[in-house]
Amino acid sequence: MAGYLASMAVFAGLTALMALGLNLIWGLAGMVNLGLVGFYAIGAYTTALLCVNFGWSPIAGIFAAVCLSAAIGCVVALVTARLKGDYLAIVTLGFAEIVRLIAANEVWLTGGTTGISNIPSLPRSMLSPMQVNFVYAGLVWIVVAFVALLLGRVSAAPFGRVLRAIREDEMVASVAGKRVLRFKIQAFAVGAAVLGLAGGLYAHYVGYVAPDAFTPLITIAVVLALTAGGTGTMRGAIIGAVLVVTLTEGTRFLAPLLSGLSPVRIAALREGLIGLCLILALSLRPTGLWPETLSKHPSEAS
Amino acid sequence: MTIRIPRRTALLAGLAAPFITRTGFAQSETIRIGSLTPQTGAGGPYGPAMVKTISAVIDDVNAAGGVLGRKIELISEDDETNPDAGVRAARKLIDVDRVVAILGTWASAVTTAVAPLCWENKVMLFTVSGADSITRLPHQGYIIRTQPDTNLQSARCADFMLKQGSKKVGFLSAQSPFAVSTYEQQSALLKAGGAEPVGNVIYDGAKTSFRSEIDQILKQQPDALFLNGYQPDLVVLLRELYRAGYEGRRLTPAYAANDKLLAALPPEAVEGLNAYAPSPDISSPAYKTVQGIVRANPDPYSCQTFDHANLAILALAKSGIASGVGIHDAVRSVGNEAGTAIHGAAEGVKLLASGSDVNYAGASGPCKFTPIGDITGCKFRFDVVEKGKSRLLQLS
Repeated sequence: MAGYLASMAVFAGLTALMALGLNLIWGLAGMVNLGLVGFYAIGAYTTALLCVNFGWSPIAGIFAAVCLSAAIGCVVALVTARLKGDYLAIVTLGFAEIVRLIAANEVWLTGGTTGISNIPSLPRSMLSPMQVNFVYAGLVWIVVAFVALLLGRVSAAPFGRVLRAIREDEMVASVAGKRVLRFKIQAFAVGAAVLGLAGGLYAHYVGYVAPDAFTPLITIAVVLALTAGGTGTMRGAIIGAVLVVTLTEGTRFLAPLLSGLSPVRIAALREGLIGLCLILALSLRPTGLWPETLSKHPSEAS
Repeated sequence: MTIRIPRRTALLAGLAAPFITRTGFAQSETIRIGSLTPQTGAGGPYGPAMVKTISAVIDDVNAAGGVLGRKIELISEDDETNPDAGVRAARKLIDVDRVVAILGTWASAVTTAVAPLCWENKVMLFTVSGADSITRLPHQGYIIRTQPDTNLQSARCADFMLKQGSKKVGFLSAQSPFAVSTYEQQSALLKAGGAEPVGNVIYDGAKTSFRSEIDQILKQQPDALFLNGYQPDLVVLLRELYRAGYEGRRLTPAYAANDKLLAALPPEAVEGLNAYAPSPDISSPAYKTVQGIVRANPDPYSCQTFDHANLAILALAKSGIASGVGIHDAVRSVGNEAGTAIHGAAEGVKLLASGSDVNYAGASGPCKFTPIGDITGCKFRFDVVEKGKSRLLQLS
C-alpha cells in the first residue's frame, strides 16, 4: 500500500506541476492553452531521446527538455498572438494533436507507436523498486514546492500584475504602456517550460514513453484540476491536482463494494462517478475550492 | 494565513478513509491474481470477454478446492487502453493487492509500460500484445506472450494471398507498432513469391472517414488488399471500399472481422472477406470450454486469457510457491510432453498434487514457449464471409 501511495503522490505531483504551468498561462495571463499535453510530450520525448540515444544524464536531459519546451512555447505564443478565447483553445488543442501525430508517425525519430523504452531513471540503479517510489515522490514534490514558490513570487511581482491586467483587458494594459505581446510570450514560455519539466520527470519515472500516453484526456484532467482548485492561485492548482488524482484513483477502491457487477460496468460507473464528482464540485464552488482573492481598489472595497 | 479545513471536507475525508484502507486489511489467505484488460478505450470491445474467461477458470479451480490449499482471488482493473492509466492500475495491483501475476494486457504500449513494474517486483506478466519488441525487453523471464509475433503471422498471410493467386497486393494499416514491420515482412515474402506489393497506406484509426486513404491505394489497382486494422476502423474501411466499387480480395485479422463487424455492415459489403487468425485450437476441449464461458464464438484474445489463467495456476501448483517467482520458475514446465494431457487447471492441480506431471494444451494453442517468452507455434485459420456469415476455409 505504501509503495502505491508514494507512486500516486508522484502522479499527483506531476499533475500539480502541469496545473502550475497552466495556471501561469491561463490563470494569470488569461490565454486558454488546451495544448498543454503537447508540451508535456515534448518534454518527455526530449529527455527520453537524449538519454537513450546519446547517453545524457537524466538531469541534463530534463534541463534540455525544459529549454526546448520553453522555446517551442515562444513559437506557439508568437503564432497564436492574435487569437483569443475559443479560437486560441482550438489552435492549441490542434498543436497538441500535431505533437502526438508526429510522435506516432516519425518512426525514425520517436520509434512511432512502439515508443521508447528503457529510459534511465534518476535513482533507480541504487535503490529497490519500493524505495524508488518514495525517493521520486519526494523529489517531485520538492520540485512542485520550488516551482510553486517561484511562480508565486512571479505572480506577486509587477510582472504578475501586468499578466492579470492583460487577462482582464488587453487594451487597457497596452494603453498603460505595457508591451502586451512580449508579456504574453514570456508567460507562455515559462508556463511551457514547467509543462516540459513535468514531462521530463514523467519519462524518467515511468521509463517508457509512447504517443498513446499523451492523449487530450490529460489536458482535460489538468484543466479540471485547475478549475476545481481555483484558477489564478498556485495553491489552487496544487489542491486541484491532488483532488483529481485522489478522485480518479480513489474510485478504484469502490470496486469491491460492487462485486455483483461485471468489470466493464464497474469501469463505466467509475468514469461516470469521477465526472459526477467534478460536476458537483464545480457547481457547488464555481470559482474553485480555493479561488483567487483580488485586492480591490479602496473606493470599491467600501 | 491559516489553513481551515471545512467541516464538509473533513466529513468526506472521514467517509472515504475506510474505502482507501479496505483492501489493505483484507485477508491474506487467498492467492491474488490481477487482470489488466481494456474495459474502455480502443480495446473496449475485447476486454469484457477476456476477464470473463479468467474469472471462469478461477471459479472452477476454487470450486475444486483452490491451489496449494488456498483460494484464488481475482482483482480486475481497467487499463483504459492507455499506458498512463495502465501503469497506475498495475501499481495498485502490485503494491496494494500484491498479486502474483497480471494477466491479459492488450495494447502493446500498455504492456511495454507495465512490463518493468512487473519484472522489478517479480510479478509474472501474461500478455496478448503482438509487438515484436515486447519479448525483447530485459524481462528476465517475467513475460509470457500467447500472441504469435509478426514474423509468424506475416509468413502465413503472405503464403495465403499467394496461393489465392494475388498479383498486386495493397496494404491499408492503422498506425500501430506492427503497421510497418508487417508490411516489410509480407512484401519481402510476396516479392519472393512473384507478386507485387503496391504500397502501404497508414491511417489514423480514430478518423471517421478514410476516403482519401482508399483513393490513394486504389490508384495502384491492387487485386488484393491487406487491411491491418481493428474492428471500429474496419467497419468504416469496408463500407467505403464497397462504395468505391472495389471488387478485389480483402484479407484482415480476425480480431477486427468479428461478429460485431458483421452485424454492423450489410452482407454485400463483407461478401468474400477473408479473415485470418492465429487459431485457437478449435478441436481442443479447452476451446469448447471457452465457447461455453463466452456463449459465442470466442475471439482469440479471450482464448488466450483463458490460457493465461490456467498456466498461472498450474505453475503455482507445480512450483509449490505462491508468488510470481513460483510462476516464473514453473510456467514453462506445465506443458511437459511426457505428462498427462490436460485442458484445464482444475484437473491439473489435482494431478500435480498427486505427484504426476501434466501437459497443458490450451484454447489458443499448444502453449509452449521459447526462452524469451514467445510461443513456439500455433495453428492459423482462414475464414471467408458468405451471405453475412463467417465460414471456415482452412485450418492448418
